[in-house]
Amino acid sequence: MLPPESQSRRDFLKFSALAGLGGTHLVSTAEAKPDPAQLTHLTTDTIGKMRPRPAGNKPVWELTTRPVGKVRIGVIGLNRGSTHVKSGSLLPFVEVVAVCDILDDRAQAQAEIVFKHTGKRPAIYSGDENVWEKMVDRDDIDVVYVATPWEWHKPMAVRAMSLGKHAFVEVNCGVTVDECWELVDASEKYQRHCPILENCAYGEEELFVLNLARQGFFGDLKHAECAYIHDQRNSGTYTFLDKQREWRRHYATFMQGNVYPTHGLGTVSQYLGMGRGDAFKYAVSVSSPEFGLSQLREKTKPNRDRSQDQKFVCGDMNTTIIKTMLGRTIVVQHDNTSPRPYTRGNMLSGSQATFCGYPNRLAVDEDNKHPILDPKEKRNSHSWTYEGDKLTKFMQANAHPLIKKAGNDAKKVGGHGGMDHLMNYRFLDCIRQGITPDMTVYDAASWSCLMDLSDRSVRDGSLPIAYPDFTRGGWKDLKTLPLIS
Amino acid sequence: MSLHENPNRRDFLKLGAIAGLGLGLNAIPSADAKPDPRDLKLLDAHDISATRPRPAGNKPVWNLTTKPIEKVRVAVIGLNRGRSHVNSAASIPFAEVVAVCDIIESRAQSAAENVKKKTGKEPAMYFGDEHAWEKMLERDDIDVVFVATPWEWHVPMALKVMQQGKHAFIEVSPAVTVDQCWQLVDMAEKTQRHCSIIENCCYGEEELFVLNLARQGFFGDLKHAECAYIHNLGGGVLWSLGSEGDWRRDYHRFMDGNLYPTHGLGPVAQYLNIGRGDAFKFVVSVSSPEFNLTQYRDKHQPNNGQHKDEKFVCGDMNTSIIKTQLGRTIMIQHDVVSPRPYTRINALCGTEATFFGYPARLAIDADNKHPILDPKEKRSSHEWTYEKEKLTKFMKENQHPLIKKIGELGKKVGGHGGMDFVMAYRMLDCVRQGITPDMTVYDAADWSSILEISARSVKEGSMPIQCPDFTRGGWKTIPPLGIVS
Repeated sequence: MLPPESQSRRDFLKFSALAGLGGTHLVSTAEAKPDPAQLTHLTTDTIGKMRPRPAGNKPVWELTTRPVGKVRIGVIGLNRGSTHVKSGSLLPFVEVVAVCDILDDRAQAQAEIVFKHTGKRPAIYSGDENVWEKMVDRDDIDVVYVATPWEWHKPMAVRAMSLGKHAFVEVNCGVTVDECWELVDASEKYQRHCPILENCAYGEEELFVLNLARQGFFGDLKHAECAYIHDQRNSGTYTFLDKQREWRRHYATFMQGNVYPTHGLGTVSQYLGMGRGDAFKYAVSVSSPEFGLSQLREKTKPNRDRSQDQKFVCGDMNTTIIKTMLGRTIVVQHDNTSPRPYTRGNMLSGSQATFCGYPNRLAVDEDNKHPILDPKEKRNSHSWTYEGDKLTKFMQANAHPLIKKAGNDAKKVGGHGGMDHLMNYRFLDCIRQGITPDMTVYDAASWSCLMDLSDRSVRDGSLPIAYPDFTRGGWKDLKTLPLIS
Repeated sequence: MSLHENPNRRDFLKLGAIAGLGLGLNAIPSADAKPDPRDLKLLDAHDISATRPRPAGNKPVWNLTTKPIEKVRVAVIGLNRGRSHVNSAASIPFAEVVAVCDIIESRAQSAAENVKKKTGKEPAMYFGDEHAWEKMLERDDIDVVFVATPWEWHVPMALKVMQQGKHAFIEVSPAVTVDQCWQLVDMAEKTQRHCSIIENCCYGEEELFVLNLARQGFFGDLKHAECAYIHNLGGGVLWSLGSEGDWRRDYHRFMDGNLYPTHGLGPVAQYLNIGRGDAFKFVVSVSSPEFNLTQYRDKHQPNNGQHKDEKFVCGDMNTSIIKTQLGRTIMIQHDVVSPRPYTRINALCGTEATFFGYPARLAIDADNKHPILDPKEKRSSHEWTYEKEKLTKFMKENQHPLIKKIGELGKKVGGHGGMDFVMAYRMLDCVRQGITPDMTVYDAADWSSILEISARSVKEGSMPIQCPDFTRGGWKTIPPLGIVS
């Protein structure tokens, strides 16, 4: 870990950001609360362009660090972040050193939880929007978790890395392609990890599919489908028009594409080995009309908080198709205002098998000779070969090593059925061992930037938009993720 | 431009295409030319979108009425698929099968015998060569000709049918290219004959149920729909000689796009009132790599290895998104080779409800106050409000009038669970009454055109391709399809 930074660090960051981007973007200062509506959106021709690697920066895709006995974490943002505090408190090789939130109540409550589990009370940072900077200044933190509104992610992550800490960033990691480049360049400059906390990749069924895909069970992969379809209009205690959703609703007033791509995209990206032998080539996006939020507002008069004057431009259903360098296709959808059950799609199509989630079902080609299959069993793919109890059994028999090892413990700890804890266990264990975490800053950038790319495509009448290559060619030679255990 | 030049072949189709561009419509198939789809004229991105001026003297046929008749006299060309239409017509009291035609004599005989058995009257038989159908069309005792031959024969036959004063009911897809679509439209408007696409899937029980509800406003504002033709033909049908293996697989060798759009698209287009208040605006399309035909051929060497030199260019999974003039979006897919169960998806998303097929499930917004719903029942759309038996019951209570009338009879007569019969009954009944059939030449053109338009988009790196307007502005005022009974 680097020694505490000098006072000139902030100026240096600002300067290098301006120099690197021709003055198109400003680093957050202590006085400026970031407004994502003010972020620069690049033109159709420039958004996909690769940027030269700043002199002195080195790739971090195989970054190793000194193994440590205990991983010391600080968590900013204790609504979503509470799940990470909980994981940190329950992992024997982790210490929750500090917790931070604007709301003092939250910070106090989380400190109490840490104390309950560990007997040690973390430092508390609370009260205003800039107190996090003090926490990140500490010299006894290895990893900073960033679990704040999306517009805070990049400023916090970059600062954390500049001060020698790894940044574990909630989804979406960056709001624009510009922000994604800044994350990559900061990670490469300061040689700190910056993984995306994509918990959905650690779900039991996701790891099952990954396990099978890595073993070649699906044959040649051709196509995948994923989504974030979650009716968030009314959560029971508050609606999407209320204060609790204000920062998130703000995005619906100026972004027209898929504002929340990573839960679906992250998972299928790992199946397809994106960034490790394949890369996103371009994305084409189409949005439906906007009805959901406008009609919700009409229905729930008198209007609440500041939603009254907001004009919503984000189409209810966004459908994006990504083409990869190896020719595979990925459908990514987003819809958070329609009356329909939750789904992330989670579909993988190969020459030898097809998996669909929600509900889980697996079709296996009759020619599939994979060793995990019983050669005596007659199968055909005209119906779902495995579903219901039969699939549950098959999934158990072929559980991912990580699930076999830590799945039950994770379920007990909870957090979206256990996937939050499994992810934290895995990421923090990587830091403990000094190895590269499963998800890198290149994943963080390439999955998050679909938010900006899909917006660009929709504004351009659905032109295909070239995907920027954050690995600067490195993806061709990067090895596929081994089956982690 | 053609993809495959063959200077020895008579270019009657090319001539017809040029003629169709305003130089005089006189493209009558000659007695010597068997149409080769590789000779078909394909348009570039600019020309494909052009709306062609209506030739002088032609009149729209969207309101075409004809003299009511007591008995509709039917002829059928192509007795593999067409056999179902023969069976349907023979089971309809106000229809008479006057003539049947197929290259293969035994098919003609078998069909004729079946008609004799059902009705006591034996139709005339035409068979033996590829021009017998032309002789049949010279008869003056036929009202409607069903065209159920390989796709490349559809337009040449339909044009001649209309020129000979008969209505053409064309199997799907009616046309292979956009140029052919214009030929159909202009011939129908010139000869004032119906030229319907006989899209049987529009008459499935589930499809008519959704249409019934959509037309009553049950779904609220419509935003998005999804449809597909996903049916694994790669291990059977596509290689089967003497049947579709003779001609269908060939399209996979020179076109990369959605080769078979209408089964999914037809019903969804009806839900959205395409051509009747809304219209297709543009299409973006992306194809996956091609794997399964090649791998099946290499592994199994079908038909004694005679296909070893065939090179397949059509991506296994094609995904297209259509944007409509009113802003709605339609996702449409095509995959006939992957190991997965059959689905047409059949999904409709509105502000008040969401329907998905395969299996049928319906989510209803808690605020949906439609009169067919029990106001006392508490509903939530966070899960599928109606599915399985509950939905079966609800579907029975809210059956489309057409199903109420002849659904049971349809199931007895058969043909894809009855929808073939329901469609034939309805379409022929329209001719009996002298009214415009539900599906018009504009539907035939709109739905077929997606074949070439998707292929063009794929070829252009998924650029959005604007859709031509076969109604020449008429779609804005053509009234929605009534609830037919």
